[in-house]
Amino acid sequence: MFELILSALILLGAFFTLVGSFGLYKLPDFFMRLHGPTKATTLGVGALLIASALYFSFKTDYISMHEILVTLFLFITAPVSAHLMAKAAIHIKIKQVKRTQNQIK
Amino acid sequence: MTLTALLNFNLPIVALLPFVGAVFAAWASKINRLASAWVAAFVTILSLAFLAPLMALPFAGETLIQSWQWIPSIGLEFAFRLDGLALLFALLILVIGLLVIIYARYYLSKKDSMGRFFSYFLMFMGSMLGVVLSENLIQLVVFWELTSLTSFLLISYWQHRQDARAGARMALVITGMGGLALLAGVLLLGHVVGSYNLTDVLASGELIQSHELYVPILILILLGVFTKSAQFPFHFWLPHAMAAPTPVSAYLHSATMVKAGIFLLARFFPVLSGSPEWAWLVGGAGLVTLLIGAYAALFQHDMKGLLAYSTISHLGLITLLFGFGTELAAVAAIFHIINHATFKASLFMVAGIIDHETGTRDMRRINGLLKYMPHTAVLAIIASSAMAGVPLLNGFLSKEMFFDQALTASHTSSWAWGIPFLVVIAAVFSVAYSLRFIHDVFFNGEPVNLPKTPHEPPRFMKIPVDLLVVICLAVGIAPMFTVAPILAVAVAGTLQTTPPEYSLAIWHGFNLPLMMSFVALVLGGLVYFYRKRLFEWHESNVAHWDARVIFNAVLGWVNALATVVTRSFDKGSLQHASVWVIATGLLAGFIGFATVSAPLLGERALLPMDAISILVVIVLILASVLTVTLHQKRLVALIMLGVVGLIVSLAFVKFSAPDLALTQLSVEVVTVVLLLLALYFLPQTTPKETSHFRVSRDIVIAVLSGVGVMLFTMAVLSRDFSPISEFFLLNSVPGGGGTNVVNVILVDFRGTDTLGEIAVLALAGLGIYAMLQGMKLPAPDHDSHGRLWNRDLHPEIMQTLTRLLLPLMTMIAIYIFLRGHNLPGGGFIAGLIAAVALIVQYLANGIAWTNDRLKFDMHWVIGLGLLIATATGLVAMGLGYPFLTTTFTYLNWPVVGKFEVASAIAFDLGVFLVVVGATVLSLVELGKLSDQSHKTQSPLKPQQENS
Repeated sequence: MFELILSALILLGAFFTLVGSFGLYKLPDFFMRLHGPTKATTLGVGALLIASALYFSFKTDYISMHEILVTLFLFITAPVSAHLMAKAAIHIKIKQVKRTQNQIK
Repeated sequence: MTLTALLNFNLPIVALLPFVGAVFAAWASKINRLASAWVAAFVTILSLAFLAPLMALPFAGETLIQSWQWIPSIGLEFAFRLDGLALLFALLILVIGLLVIIYARYYLSKKDSMGRFFSYFLMFMGSMLGVVLSENLIQLVVFWELTSLTSFLLISYWQHRQDARAGARMALVITGMGGLALLAGVLLLGHVVGSYNLTDVLASGELIQSHELYVPILILILLGVFTKSAQFPFHFWLPHAMAAPTPVSAYLHSATMVKAGIFLLARFFPVLSGSPEWAWLVGGAGLVTLLIGAYAALFQHDMKGLLAYSTISHLGLITLLFGFGTELAAVAAIFHIINHATFKASLFMVAGIIDHETGTRDMRRINGLLKYMPHTAVLAIIASSAMAGVPLLNGFLSKEMFFDQALTASHTSSWAWGIPFLVVIAAVFSVAYSLRFIHDVFFNGEPVNLPKTPHEPPRFMKIPVDLLVVICLAVGIAPMFTVAPILAVAVAGTLQTTPPEYSLAIWHGFNLPLMMSFVALVLGGLVYFYRKRLFEWHESNVAHWDARVIFNAVLGWVNALATVVTRSFDKGSLQHASVWVIATGLLAGFIGFATVSAPLLGERALLPMDAISILVVIVLILASVLTVTLHQKRLVALIMLGVVGLIVSLAFVKFSAPDLALTQLSVEVVTVVLLLLALYFLPQTTPKETSHFRVSRDIVIAVLSGVGVMLFTMAVLSRDFSPISEFFLLNSVPGGGGTNVVNVILVDFRGTDTLGEIAVLALAGLGIYAMLQGMKLPAPDHDSHGRLWNRDLHPEIMQTLTRLLLPLMTMIAIYIFLRGHNLPGGGFIAGLIAAVALIVQYLANGIAWTNDRLKFDMHWVIGLGLLIATATGLVAMGLGYPFLTTTFTYLNWPVVGKFEVASAIAFDLGVFLVVVGATVLSLVELGKLSDQSHKTQSPLKPQQENS
């Protein structure tokens, strides 16, 4: 049962990370591409970290706390970098796809 | 500590006390302008007091030696010696020094920094005392060089004056060059004798003179002597050193600096003299200097210039006496050293007083001062009569002895018959310039156009001169009751045997020396009387000869040569410099490979490769290539560089070097921030600047060196060898108490190395701070596409969220620090992490905001770190172990269990603090620079911000 949960988490994590990377490659303009690494990757890496925390907490004598810290750091830094990149893109007036609603002027 | 115990090392105290006093003198001037003069006088008296209990020893015929081992492997001892000669010089240095200090206190004006003057003065005094009291010759040379350096500071004391700086530099170049020659001579001497101790050297005169290296030793040592004592052809620096304040001239050119050379002549007299080479070199230089100095002195219009050339002439006289090589000549030389010191110091002081009171030193303008300053006039008349050799004054006695010796020497060989004539000619000029000093200044009509109305100086300014002039009189009238004892021990100390019979009487009957004195006085008067014609002849024929022209030409030539050599290697371009370094490395490596016939690869089997490693290596190669090819897009290149760094840290992880991986990661972060800050100031696009030839040359060199390094690494790694790491792996736990070998090496086995490294890091941080402090760099207000920078420097989302990071990152830094002794981590890595934590705050919130909240100055952090690290080492020393010995113990804590505590963690804390301080200091200083350029931009242009 434990192995099943772990496998599910790892697969989920791997899937979302892959989707994020794919999105980074496939999406048509900068603002859309920003979604890939920030959103999907946050979810994917989060799932992987939970899997790691569970595994090491149950397989060794110690409760593994590193992953919680890593999660915290990710949650703090990912929005900041996404925000800064978006701001920069707006500042230098990067091209947008025509169909986007509420175009940045 | 009892007083008697203190007396066991009072010789080094005498020499080193002035150096300590120099610090206090500089510091005291902050309290009160005159306080530093008091400190200087007090230190001098204290040195005299430490010398006093030993004075009886030389009189009893003993030589005192106090020595300590310093670096025994190269024969270097910290050794001091007190014999008659050393005692005489030490007394001259201290007593005349004290008088000059009193004089200088009144001489210096309110504009002059007293602290700086007396601090330099004391350092110079200490260096001189070190020279005369040294037993070890290497130590003597060290003090000798210190006299050159400190006299440079003294001569250039008025730094705003171009002539002072030029004169000081000339003195330093000449005497420093002589110092190097002296060092070489002393090293040869030590090689011949087998010891650097004077006692051994003085006992091996015959060995030295019969050795084939005798002539090189003699020439090298004499180069040191002649440059220091301003002997021909090195005499020309002395007049230019007259740009110094007069107290400095009075001290340097009467009792000290120039006498150091004479001291060395006297010191080596027993071992080096007596050969024809000695007679020709020393006697020849002395005779020429005597004549040139005496002749040139007469034609100086500057009072101090006259005294300068007269000093040169008298130094020549003393050198000539030593050159005669007889024991009686040495007696006369020592006697004249004492006499010259007294009358020349007082004359310089008189010149200073007159300069001080009239505002000029030009003898064509200063006339008839007798009625304005009668007291000073009397002093000057007596002192210059002593200089001229008038009977009943001390100069007369030593000059008599000199004439006598010149007559004796004239019988020694066929070339020597002319000596008495030449000597009398010099004496004639000596009388003439002394007469000029008296007549021009104090008589000869009325003063011409003086800046100030002259009057007598303050009472205490004259007291040192009074004392010196009284000594001139006392020695001249009753030599047996005044100078005889000290002269006797000084002669004994010079000759290292019982002194010969000599008489100090004033009246020896009507003999040839007396006749010579008489002739000199009469002819000297005549020369002065007919001076106008002589001056005209001098002006038209000789005056345009100036050794300074030659000196400057030689100096310019040497500088040009140095520039050509330097410029041909270093064109001020990094690429050019690296081509040299890398190409040299390539060549050396090629020679290494080519000359050894061993197979390239060793016996060891290669490790298997896995797919991931290959992939990672391919990425590494790609990133490296892209860094180079994309170098014109700087940001992209920087990101590629970051990729390279991250992969390298992955490689460290793979090959089990977690400490290195951690370090690499944190260094990577700091480097990227640093480069971004620096890129801001560089042009955003690089022009295509390199020619095809250079590109292909660089490619060839790069490929060759890459292949070379690969071959080299393979050659090493494919062989079995037992590296030094075995020892550390085995001894880490038993010896250092930690299981993290890297950390134990850093803080324990190689603690001294680490201490040195953090000292360098601290200096680098401070250096960057000092260089960038107050610097303003212009930076563009727009990017390469002409877009203005975003004015929202610190977006709120970034500010709010990154503030959360500080406690988290600090926690990690502390965690990494604490576990460092046993698991990957340690002070260095923790320091980098903490530095990154702080830098993130600076970046997100701005420098002003962060500095407001970060209440401590990074200078203090650096200093504290160094202090803690050094203190751990000193504590071990205090407990009787070698420097930086560590200890550890295991404690049993109730909850945690067995816990290891090592004293090395304090050392690691020092490392941590220095790393944090230096990193933050330099990055923030760079950041300030870009902040500065933001603020100095033109006023706001229309905002381009979108909302």
